Amino acid sequence: MKIIVPIKQVPETSRVKINEETGTIIRDGVENIINPLDLYAIESAIQLRENNGGSITVISMGPPKAETALREAIAMGADQAILITGREFAGSDTWSTAYALSALIENIKPYDLVITGERATDGDTGQVGPGIASFLNLPLSTYTGKIETVNKDHIIVQRLIEEGYERLQLPLPALLTVVKEIAYPRLPTLRGKQKARTIDIPINSGKDIKVKEEELGLKGSPTRVVRIYRPQVTRKGTILQVKDEKTLAESVDKLISFLKEKKIVSF
Amino acid sequence: MKYNPVTHAIVEKLKEICGENYVFTDPEKLEPYSHDETPAEQFSHLPEVVVMPIKTEQISQIMKLANKNKIPVTPRGAGSGLSGGAIPVCGGIIVSLEKMNKILEIDTQNMMVTLEPGVITNEVNEKIEELGLFFAGYPMSVETCFIGGNLAENAGGGRAVKYGVTDRYIMGIEVVLPDGEIITLGGKRVKDVTGYNLKQLFIGSEGTLGIITRVIIKLLPLPSAKVDLLVLFKDIKQAISLVPKIMTETRIIPTSIEFMDQLSVQSSCEYLNEHLPYQDAGAMLLIEVDGNSQKEVEREAEIIGELCLKHNALEVYVADNYTTQERVWAVRRNIAEAFKVVSPQQSLEDIVVPISVIAEVVEEIQAIAKKYDILIPCYGHAGDGNLHATLVKNPDHSYQKWLEIEHGVLMDLYRLVKAKGGTISGEHGIGSKRKDYLSMVCSETEIKVMKKIKEAIDPNNIMNPGKIFK
Repeated sequence: MKIIVPIKQVPETSRVKINEETGTIIRDGVENIINPLDLYAIESAIQLRENNGGSITVISMGPPKAETALREAIAMGADQAILITGREFAGSDTWSTAYALSALIENIKPYDLVITGERATDGDTGQVGPGIASFLNLPLSTYTGKIETVNKDHIIVQRLIEEGYERLQLPLPALLTVVKEIAYPRLPTLRGKQKARTIDIPINSGKDIKVKEEELGLKGSPTRVVRIYRPQVTRKGTILQVKDEKTLAESVDKLISFLKEKKIVSF
Repeated sequence: MKYNPVTHAIVEKLKEICGENYVFTDPEKLEPYSHDETPAEQFSHLPEVVVMPIKTEQISQIMKLANKNKIPVTPRGAGSGLSGGAIPVCGGIIVSLEKMNKILEIDTQNMMVTLEPGVITNEVNEKIEELGLFFAGYPMSVETCFIGGNLAENAGGGRAVKYGVTDRYIMGIEVVLPDGEIITLGGKRVKDVTGYNLKQLFIGSEGTLGIITRVIIKLLPLPSAKVDLLVLFKDIKQAISLVPKIMTETRIIPTSIEFMDQLSVQSSCEYLNEHLPYQDAGAMLLIEVDGNSQKEVEREAEIIGELCLKHNALEVYVADNYTTQERVWAVRRNIAEAFKVVSPQQSLEDIVVPISVIAEVVEEIQAIAKKYDILIPCYGHAGDGNLHATLVKNPDHSYQKWLEIEHGVLMDLYRLVKAKGGTISGEHGIGSKRKDYLSMVCSETEIKVMKKIKEAIDPNNIMNPGKIFK
């Protein structure tokens, strides 16, 4: 079974500082890591390979330094990696990114499965995975929480929906975007790191994959980031004041009816 | 020694000194100040009043008042201590340093910072990180503990293999003595042999000699690269016997060599909902190397990793970015918390032995555990020979029986470490928790000298009484 895992390198956002004026991330001195949610995609792929054999190719589109993220994925257990990079891709939105990645995937077929993280922690859109599926005309399961069975022509998965789980059978090749509960990402090993350090990672530019130049980068992106700002939180708490026995009873009643109203309790 | 109670008049005077809002006596507000991280059932004691001064002069007045009226005073930082140091075992006044939490000066010329005692240790490092500097103290409670407490206990922690413990970085302190006098000791001087080293006397004095009100700490250039190895071994013996070899065979001094047995890893993982593959690993080592060249640090980590594989390590995991490093260190840092969830009745020990004998000591601890039919999971700073063997109550035993067993185990354990050239506390302190056992490792004369020092500085024995000595 051949699995492709598109990943993204993102700034390590737990300690990141924001420029209050522009609303953008201050990237100086910030470490770049594999998008944490992509680790679950990599781990799912490794587990599938452990159980069914095959190989895993991790791919990424980004600046040359995104190679570090690909090497980290190799250290975790992926078999090979390909990077697409070049000025022509700069400023790509999710549509253009999905377009370029799907062109690369088309270039390295055949494959059985594409697995992506649910979304990237920087852009936070969750669109690239489904976008790739759309470009490649692949059956899609987003928010996949469990892989039940897989054989050579289909896969059965459970996807997380608001009220529970939806069980889907998808013909292969298919694309899954996975959520955290699917697996616990393993740590990279020393042997993996040693392999990752020396492995050759092919670097593709716009010319190497069959894409239309005008659909790449900022000029090929139908969406624009016009302004970034911090949303104002308008939620306000309600404080129920208790002064004596009577207001205590009233407050408890108010609290219970509030919880009932919100369907948090039912009795 | 008979102490006087905190009367209404005393409370009023304290309010005059600190202001109405910084003094309280309501029982529910006092409760959080009655314990630290030792089991409350066994060691807690309520204060009569808590005061939260905001400046040194107020503390001086509080001490004068207390000294005159023979009221015990217990200084308190974040309450994250592990030997009862901040517990007011004789009642009286708690002086909480929580409001004295300002970073007073960052002196880049001398690479030093001046702090009030209530600054959270980690905050210092967050503040100076962008200057490329760091404070090398790293107690496991770094996210909550106060710098004042670090000094009072001479805290150790996870980086001591390479960087030593708190006292190495303390350049100067300001202390309020039990009689209310204020003294400053040391300063921004790298060398100083003017008279006795009184500064050192106060560091690690567990709040029994005075209240530290200001601290000057030395900073180091922040290493730009670090790599952590999480190494899995089949059993404890294989893991721990490798500890001295890491340094003797590779000639590399890691920042940390932390040890965790299976039960420690499992408890912490369950507590954190983390999944490390501990099922087949009887023990793990967490080894960190740091430096200023990513390449060099990677090379050193690789040499150590290869040594581990040569000595039958099951797997060597590599964490070379912040996210992964936090993931592995969180497991190590949360072991103590996790055990508390498993069983609140336990005794977190802090023995320290020469690292050459650490393997035999761990083995004999397991024999003691068997003898008393309890679990003694072990984890800690193996690279320093400092192990947190944790006595966990057997759920089948009654509380009364547990107390007997605890005493028996401690006697056996302390006799063992003494025989191996070790001692009963490496970084947590004696406090109230271990004071009955001090004479097992300190000679009569040694204790006599210590008591004379105490008497000279605190003749009325009002400064954190009931600690260190029986």
